[in-house]
Amino acid sequence: MKASLKNVLDWLETKVSYADIRFVQQEEERIVAENGILSSYKLSTDRGVGIRVLANGAWGFASTYDLEQEVLLETAAKALKIAQASALCKKEEIRLAPTDKQVDKYITPIIKDPFRVNPIEKIDLLIKSTQAMLKDKVKRSEGILNFFKTNKLFLSTEGSEIEQTIFESGGGISAYAIEEGDFQRRSYPSSFDGDYATRGYEFVEEMNLLDNAERISEEANQLLVAPYAPEGVVDIVLGGSQLALQVHESCGHPVELDRVLGKEISFAGGSFLTVDKLNNFVYGSLKVNIVADATIAGGLGTFAYDDEGVPASKTYLVKQGKFVGYLTSREDAFQLGICSNGSARAQSWNNIPLVRMTNINLLPGDFEWEELLGDIKKGLYLDYNKSWSIDDKRLNFQFGTEMAREIKDGKLGKIYKNAFYQGITPEFWKSCDGIGNKKFWRVWGINNCGKGQPEQLMHVGHGTSPARFRKVKVGACR
Amino acid sequence: MMELEKGKKLIKKIKEKIRPDYDFEVILSEERFELTRFAESYIHQNVAESNLNLTLKAILGNRIGAVQMNSMDDAIISKNLQKAVNIANITPPLDFPYRLVPPQNYTIKGKYSEDTINFSSLDRARLIRQIIRGMNQVGYDAAGAFSSEQITLIVANSQGLFAFDKGTKLDFNCVITRGNSTAHVSFIDWDVNNFKVNKIIDELLETALRNREQVEIEPGVYTAILSPEATSNILNYTGEVAFNGKSIMEGKSFVCANRNKKIFPEILTVADNPLDELTMPIPFDSVGYPREKVYLIEKGRVKDGVYDHITALRYNHRCTGNTLAGEDASYGALPFNLVMEGGEVDLEEMISRTKKGIFISRLHYVNVLNPMSIQLTGMTRDGTFLVENGKIGKAIKNMRFNTSIIDMFKAVDLISKERQVKAGWVGPTVAPYLRTNNFTFSSKTSF
Repeated sequence: MKASLKNVLDWLETKVSYADIRFVQQEEERIVAENGILSSYKLSTDRGVGIRVLANGAWGFASTYDLEQEVLLETAAKALKIAQASALCKKEEIRLAPTDKQVDKYITPIIKDPFRVNPIEKIDLLIKSTQAMLKDKVKRSEGILNFFKTNKLFLSTEGSEIEQTIFESGGGISAYAIEEGDFQRRSYPSSFDGDYATRGYEFVEEMNLLDNAERISEEANQLLVAPYAPEGVVDIVLGGSQLALQVHESCGHPVELDRVLGKEISFAGGSFLTVDKLNNFVYGSLKVNIVADATIAGGLGTFAYDDEGVPASKTYLVKQGKFVGYLTSREDAFQLGICSNGSARAQSWNNIPLVRMTNINLLPGDFEWEELLGDIKKGLYLDYNKSWSIDDKRLNFQFGTEMAREIKDGKLGKIYKNAFYQGITPEFWKSCDGIGNKKFWRVWGINNCGKGQPEQLMHVGHGTSPARFRKVKVGACR
Repeated sequence: MMELEKGKKLIKKIKEKIRPDYDFEVILSEERFELTRFAESYIHQNVAESNLNLTLKAILGNRIGAVQMNSMDDAIISKNLQKAVNIANITPPLDFPYRLVPPQNYTIKGKYSEDTINFSSLDRARLIRQIIRGMNQVGYDAAGAFSSEQITLIVANSQGLFAFDKGTKLDFNCVITRGNSTAHVSFIDWDVNNFKVNKIIDELLETALRNREQVEIEPGVYTAILSPEATSNILNYTGEVAFNGKSIMEGKSFVCANRNKKIFPEILTVADNPLDELTMPIPFDSVGYPREKVYLIEKGRVKDGVYDHITALRYNHRCTGNTLAGEDASYGALPFNLVMEGGEVDLEEMISRTKKGIFISRLHYVNVLNPMSIQLTGMTRDGTFLVENGKIGKAIKNMRFNTSIIDMFKAVDLISKERQVKAGWVGPTVAPYLRTNNFTFSSKTSF
């Protein structure tokens, strides 16, 4: 394959100011069970080549599933033609921030290759877990396991040759307690298909899905008869799973530099973190430190190089509450006169790299669990996302959660259902006055982050530990 | 692109490769897709994709093994077919008898335009340039996306079912901005000849020039006029959470307690309707069932949902031709061609009959708060206006809504004659302007 791709780059070399070519082959195994019955087992293979060229100062990209040399050359010619069309509407020549030539290989360190684990073992785990949840009013249960192995080969006219093999594993279970006029869901370890990591099958084993099935079933039953969450302005503690999505929506997306520069304005929107605010804006309290870190072991946004061949890195986005950094591509980084921090990622061979989250982590604080709750006289503990929405500048947000617990005089109390909380991003993060310590910190994997047109789904990670926020507007949806 | 005869040959080849004691189902889609994105008044993304997707299912009684690939290579197909057989051999059986869909007759055809196929990246760039120049002349920046697509679809099985269709699609959207003054237009069609660039420019400017110096209003319950764009967005979420037959069978939809009850006004009719003259129909579903008109709400009466093949078999219900491709059977079904029927007034009359209300051009980041009450949340954007004494008035800052669509639909009293085609979750959605006297805004934002 490498020789074919090199031939294409050789052909392009004199016609472009820059080109890169990516071969991606992805294998996927997806197993779904419902109510103790296997409902689907699918193996997928997807492969192809994407060719990106910078010619006449403008971008062109073409991709094909057909790997014949002749077709690859035709595809390269098409990318060139598209770049010529792009040049009809250009403001100035597109230029890229510099990056070093890289020749390297990387493979996700794993203990157990998920594709070599006996399928019957995986099926059995889901069947038993979904059976175990069927108690009382839990009339429906779901379980999913999903594994990916992605081989990438990246070559560029700058001489880079990078081979990466990324393994991803994960899954989750959900219990639905149902009665006339209402149903309540509880999920484990996280909602919306569970939790994922760049790890092997050992990650699934550590989840202990079966051991947690009865507990979440019981909680779903409790939610069904629970009162609605109270309305008002109270102190809240967010659990790690919900906080992961809070970080995702209110920090991860607004620091994407392409969004800041207006490239997503027509679809997903812009950002309140405009370039004039860089190093000059109080995003949160002094306790808030947020990094983009594609280098941590096991994070779902962990890799060695992004899809522009830029090495993975760790970048501060928010340091002691101050907004200090963006996620960047080479093109957007050039606009700011900086180097890219390696955040340009493509879903697959048929997509161009966009500025995407890697692992966006809220760094741990120094609070014990009891200290977080300790001085809350009346508040709510909220976790496991049920609903999310945020405005097109990433300011006004609202999240609903599966689980809400009363906090009364520093102790967890009764369960509430249908809770949500609302806020304005910087005000919310400024109200953060306590973050759980390292003991509670872990990375959550979200495998469905959507962005761009055509939409690309990206796998990203978020490290969090539970945190406390003061005077937050809460309510219940009825 | 795959043509009919080549498709038939592929199915014959699969039949020869699989052991005769196994049944099989095949879904093959082949796609040519091109898209140009522009922002800050230049083209920043311009892509073309050629891809295919071949799903094979090997079926042994009630055991199913599925594989998916994007190759037509003989050896790869053989290898994957064997994998599908292996999966079918080891998987536990479904808890109901699985049946293949028998051969069908198809009367609906997809819409297809050679001119759309020939619409090139250069053609797109020229039209985008015209829009950008038009906007720059009045101080606005333009951002958006313009795509064209050609797709061929084949569904077949070992019982002789064979369905073939091809279609084209054009999709355009644009936002123009000058400070907080913004406007949005979207356009979907199968034929590039229906794209009228001057009309797009006029529509954008008309909204943008009104959408300036926004004032703040307080959250509360308002009379609201929703544009077809906003109505379409609401309809798609409602279709997912309320009219998915699987959710209904599991007791997770408001339809369970309201089937055949007339709880909405007589003027409200919503259907999954591939026969609507404005829509771009999908002629069959992913197991080959022919599509048909399915009433979800008929003259205010709640009817039923849409059903996929697996749910229909499991619950002994009729399949409505809404089996999704590429989804797990656990998801259920979605409406493919959502349609709200038009009413009797035009937009001008709707506005002139509104003493006090809010006109909503576009919703943003809608999501489900409570599936049972179809309570949705989301933001307004790109043009929200006060309607006062029968006229569109001041622009207002964006608001968050938390509103029950059941309550909102109960309070619909005017629907426009005019309907527009907008993006839907499977096929496009046909939606009118509508007025409701119950739309709840819960909070504000600063722009």
